[in-house]
Amino acid sequence: MPRSVLNLSPRLRPLFFCAYLATQLTLLIRAQRSPDFVFGFQMFNASSELKISLLRKVRRGGRSRVVHVRDGAWETKDASGERHTFRWHDRIRYSRLTVLDRYVHAAYGLDAQLFRLQAALHDFAAHLSGDRETEALIAEVDTIENGRVRGHVRLQADRP
Amino acid sequence: MNALPAVWRRFFGEERDAYVLGLLRLAISALLFFNLLRAVLEFEHSGYFGDYFHMPMLSEVWVPSRAGYQLILGAQGLAAVLAFVGLWPREALLVASSLGLYLLTCDRLQYHNNRYTLLLLGLLLAFTPCDRSLLLVRKRSHTLPRAQRIAPTFARRLFQIQVSLVYLGSTGGKLLDADWRSGQVLLMRFAKAPEICAQHGLILPAWVLLLLGSAWFASLAAKAAITSELFIALGVWLPRTRRLALWLGVGFHFWIELTASVELFSWVMATSYLAFVTPEIRERRLEYVPSHARAAALARFVAVADWCARFERTPLTPPAPASAAFYVTNREGQRATGVLGLAQLAEAIPLLFPFWMPLALYARFTTKARALRS
Repeated sequence: MPRSVLNLSPRLRPLFFCAYLATQLTLLIRAQRSPDFVFGFQMFNASSELKISLLRKVRRGGRSRVVHVRDGAWETKDASGERHTFRWHDRIRYSRLTVLDRYVHAAYGLDAQLFRLQAALHDFAAHLSGDRETEALIAEVDTIENGRVRGHVRLQADRP
Repeated sequence: MNALPAVWRRFFGEERDAYVLGLLRLAISALLFFNLLRAVLEFEHSGYFGDYFHMPMLSEVWVPSRAGYQLILGAQGLAAVLAFVGLWPREALLVASSLGLYLLTCDRLQYHNNRYTLLLLGLLLAFTPCDRSLLLVRKRSHTLPRAQRIAPTFARRLFQIQVSLVYLGSTGGKLLDADWRSGQVLLMRFAKAPEICAQHGLILPAWVLLLLGSAWFASLAAKAAITSELFIALGVWLPRTRRLALWLGVGFHFWIELTASVELFSWVMATSYLAFVTPEIRERRLEYVPSHARAAALARFVAVADWCARFERTPLTPPAPASAAFYVTNREGQRATGVLGLAQLAEAIPLLFPFWMPLALYARFTTKARALRS
């Protein structure tokens, strides 16, 4: 008869059973409050869409202003005058957030994608070494929730 | 008052034939391998996820380095192969699924319900005696004798509960969402169907377009989807409704596979249904006349496709006068031939299972019509 360390003794079986179920139920309930329902078995996507426009808050001539990022890329010079190109796609490869200025399907719902987009902005803002101009990254997001316009959302991540 | 301890002992001390669990192990380990293959291809195509934007659920220090990630993928692949061929299969399943779950927590962008479900099922299967049959490394003696296959199968119950939880979680999400309940979500999805079909060179007829664009149809479809999921989640627990729930589940996932991109989800769920198969084997019988070409072909097909070892095959020699070419006897002892016999075959053979309901309905109606005529 095959022996295995995974043959639980009769005393351990109820413990394992209860511990597993308790963990699963906790994760399932907690998932309902999570924006992307992670561990919640929400299998079917909502039919929502979002359009992300990327902007930069830059300081030029002592004044701050907001400029649109065309095609997800911009160029700046560092202190030594060397040119640097920053591309959204170089760092953000999660396919749901790579498409800019065009409506795309919001997998797992709008809240999930806005939550991830905010994190993506923070991540990108933290990786701008060589860019002396950019003070913050801004995403202007148009949202359509299940066929109805939900509104406009503005997300911002300041450089750390 | 003594009933509870008795139920408790029966539940945790249940010992059944583990043959089908071996089949489940083959399927789950193959799916784990395909899931890993996807991760490897993504790594080849997009590079190491830690080099760009990712969202760890753990602290960043727990995220593996590039080399560590490659090592984990390698270990996962090896474990999936070992589980498949039957070398330390349970330990291998535990390693493959635990490493997969760990990687999911390293980047929530890679989280998908189908991946999570597969890994949980792999983990639970490791605690079942799935190492007593279909051990491919043992070649012809791949399955232990029956006496050695009888083993505690409480973890199979946990596996079944997990399958139900998947459906309940999904149903709960839809029930809590007003747009899902009303059919608005499906209406929007249906609206895109003509465009998607056109991209594949398929032009939908006008009446289908009308149907897909109507709110009442979307509302009906939403309620049907929610009810179906709820029925699958609960129906599999009642012997009277189990077969119907599983049949509905197969149809449900076939539809999802056709209309949505869900990675391995449909395969994972269809595979998980093996956990609901009655563990005991060879409790049904197929009797056939070897000299009858079609009956012999049917017997050969059953020999190949009877993956759950449901049937004992018995040649009818010499055939009784006026006997049919084949008879199928189900677990309840009902002996049938013709369409009803085929329905009794289809209810137990995975490849034929989608045809079980149409065959059974056809057999029932034709029998009734014949009885009325006579």
